[in-house]
Amino acid sequence: MLVRKLTWPLAFLMALALVFTLFPVFWIVMTAIKPPTDWNAAPAIWIPHEPTLVNFRTLFDPNAIREYGVGGVSQAATASVLGSIFASVTATFFSILIGLFAAIGLSRYATMSKATPLVILSGRMFPPAAIAVPFVIIFSATNVIDTYSGLIAIYVAVTLPFSTWMLKSFVDDLPREIEEAAMIDGRSRLMAHLTVTIPLIRGGLFATTMLIFILNWSEFMFALVLSYTNVTTIPVQLAKYVTATAGTLYGVQAALAVLAMLPLVIGGFMIQSHLARGMTFGAVKR
Amino acid sequence: MNALMHATIEVPTLAMEHLTKSFRHQPALDDVSFMVPKGALTVVLGAAGAGKTTLLRSIAGLEQPDRGRILLGGRDVAGREPKDRNLAMIFDNLALYPDKTGFDNIASPLRIRGDSRAEIETAVKEVAARLRISHILARKPKTMSGGERQRVALGRALVRTPSLFLLDEPLSSLDAMLRIELRAELRRLQRELGYTFLMATPDFAEAMAIADTVILLRAGRIVQIADPQTLYDAPVDRDAARFVGAPEINLVPARIEPGHGLHIAGGVLPLPDRLAALAGSGPVAVEAGIRPEAIGLAPADAAPISGTVSDIEPLGAQAAVTVTAGEAELRLVAGAADLASLAPGTKVGLSIAAERITAFDPRSGTRLA
Repeated sequence: MLVRKLTWPLAFLMALALVFTLFPVFWIVMTAIKPPTDWNAAPAIWIPHEPTLVNFRTLFDPNAIREYGVGGVSQAATASVLGSIFASVTATFFSILIGLFAAIGLSRYATMSKATPLVILSGRMFPPAAIAVPFVIIFSATNVIDTYSGLIAIYVAVTLPFSTWMLKSFVDDLPREIEEAAMIDGRSRLMAHLTVTIPLIRGGLFATTMLIFILNWSEFMFALVLSYTNVTTIPVQLAKYVTATAGTLYGVQAALAVLAMLPLVIGGFMIQSHLARGMTFGAVKR
Repeated sequence: MNALMHATIEVPTLAMEHLTKSFRHQPALDDVSFMVPKGALTVVLGAAGAGKTTLLRSIAGLEQPDRGRILLGGRDVAGREPKDRNLAMIFDNLALYPDKTGFDNIASPLRIRGDSRAEIETAVKEVAARLRISHILARKPKTMSGGERQRVALGRALVRTPSLFLLDEPLSSLDAMLRIELRAELRRLQRELGYTFLMATPDFAEAMAIADTVILLRAGRIVQIADPQTLYDAPVDRDAARFVGAPEINLVPARIEPGHGLHIAGGVLPLPDRLAALAGSGPVAVEAGIRPEAIGLAPADAAPISGTVSDIEPLGAQAAVTVTAGEAELRLVAGAADLASLAPGTKVGLSIAAERITAFDPRSGTRLA
C-alpha cells in the first residue's frame, strides 16, 4: 500500500475536503434538531440552544409540530419509509441475484460477442429522463403504474447493469482455476460457483449490494413519475414538506433526511471489514 | 471376448484422437493424437503458448474441443462434466482454496465425495505424512511457503486414486533446488503407487529427468513422441533438436562427399555409413547437428578440425567454450582440467564423434539421418 507522510499542505487539503463533504451532513443533523423558530433564523444558528425531537415526531405524527404553532403537514412519512424499505430491499435483492449469475456467466462462460458486456452497460447510457415518460405510458397501459411491483421492476432494470459490471470485475479478479479445482474435486459447475466462487467474492458482493441499495434508496425521478397515491418513497416524501402557511418545513425535512441516511451509515460500517481486498492472497501464484 | 484377449490388449488410460481446438480462430491444438498407457509418466513438452495447458484442460473437461475425441479408459468422455471424469489436476497456479486450511484443502475431494469423518482424517494424514507436510495442515495457504503450497496441491490430488493425474507445470513456482527435489519425489510417488501421470512442462531437463515418454508440442501440433533419450539423440527436426539440450546443439553447414568424408568447419571428418547413405553419387549439402558433448578438445596439430577460442561461459564445474573453426562456431563443454589452458584467442584442435552427428535438411530443417 502506498503510505505518504502527512505533511502540512496535505493535511490542510484533506481538512478542506472533509469540511466540504461533511459540512452538509453537519448542517442537516443540526437542522433536524432545531425548533421551528431556529430554522430560518438570521444570523444562522449553528448549534441549537434548545435541541428538540419534535421534527422526528412530526414525521410520524403530523400534528406534533402544532405545539410550535406550525401547521399544515397533511401526511405522515410512515408510508414512505416503509415504501422505501420495501422497494429498495426487494429491488436490490433481485438486482444482485440476477447480476451475480450474469457476472459469473459473462466472466467464465461468455461465448457470445466480446461486446455483450458493453451492450449491457449501454442500458445505463440513456439519461433516466429520456425513458421516464415512455415508462409512464407503458406502465399506465399495463396497469402497473403506482404499484410497488412496477417500481421494483424499474429499479432492477436500471441497477442491473451496475451490479452485473461490478460483480463481473470481482469474479474476473478471482482466478478461475480455484473453482475449476472444485469441479475436478467433484463439484458440478453450479455447485462449484455456489460453494467456491461466491464465498470468495463476498467482499465485492457486500460492496455491490451496498451500492445498489444506495442507488435504489435515493432514487427520486421514477418514484415520482410512476406513483400517485399507493406508492411513495422517502425521496418523494422529502419534497412534500412545503406548506401554504409556513413555507418549507426545513426541520421536518431534515429529520427525514437524517432518517434516510441512517441505514447507509450503519451498512457502511458493517461491511467495512469486507471491503478490504486481498482475500485470495496465497491461493495462486501471480 | 476371451480371457487371453483381455490380457493382451491393454486399454490405454487416455487416448486422444485428432483433438482440435481454436480460440477466436487461433488454433490452439491442431489434430493432436496420442495415448497414455496405464502407470506411465508421460510429459507434454513445449514452449509457452504451444498448447500444453489447453490440452490438459480439454482432457479435464474444462475446455470444449472443436473436433476430435478424448477417451478415458476406452470411453469417449465428450459432454461429461469434469467431476465425472475421475481425474485429478494440479494447476500451474496451484489454485488452492484460499479460505481453507491445508487439511481442508486436501480433504476437499473426499468431503465432496461424502467420505466419513474418520476416513477423511486417516487419508489426509497419510498423504500429508508422505509429502512431509503434517506440520502445516492447520495453516492457510497465505502463510505457507511456495514449496509447502506445492505439496498441499499435490496432496489434494493424491488423496484420491483417480485414473489419471494431470499436472500443468506443477513445479514452475519453485526455486531450482526445490524443483529438482520435488520432481524426483513426484517420480518416486508415481512409480511406487503405480499412478498414471500426464505432466506439462516447458523445461526439457525436467522432461528428460522423469518422463517415460515425451510428447513434444509446438504451436498446437505434436512434433514428436519418443522416450527422452531418443528425443535427444534423434530429434525429428532442427527446432526440436534446439529445444532439447543445453547448451544448445551446434548447427553448422556441412557437405557430404561420398568416398571422401564429411566437410565441416574447415576440416574433414570420416564419413559414417549412416550419413554416406544420404549421398548418392554426388556431394550433398546438409546442416549438421552436433551436441556440445560430442565435441572434444585435441592437440591443435593432430586434430581434424582446428580453430580459435572466442568465448568461455562458465557453467560451474564446467564451462561452455565457443570455438571459431573455419566459418563455423562450435560450442563444447570443457571440464576444469582443460579450462586451465584455455583463454579467448587460444588455438585449439577439435575432435568430433562423427557417429553422433545428425544431419538436417538445410531448407526444411527435417532430420535426414
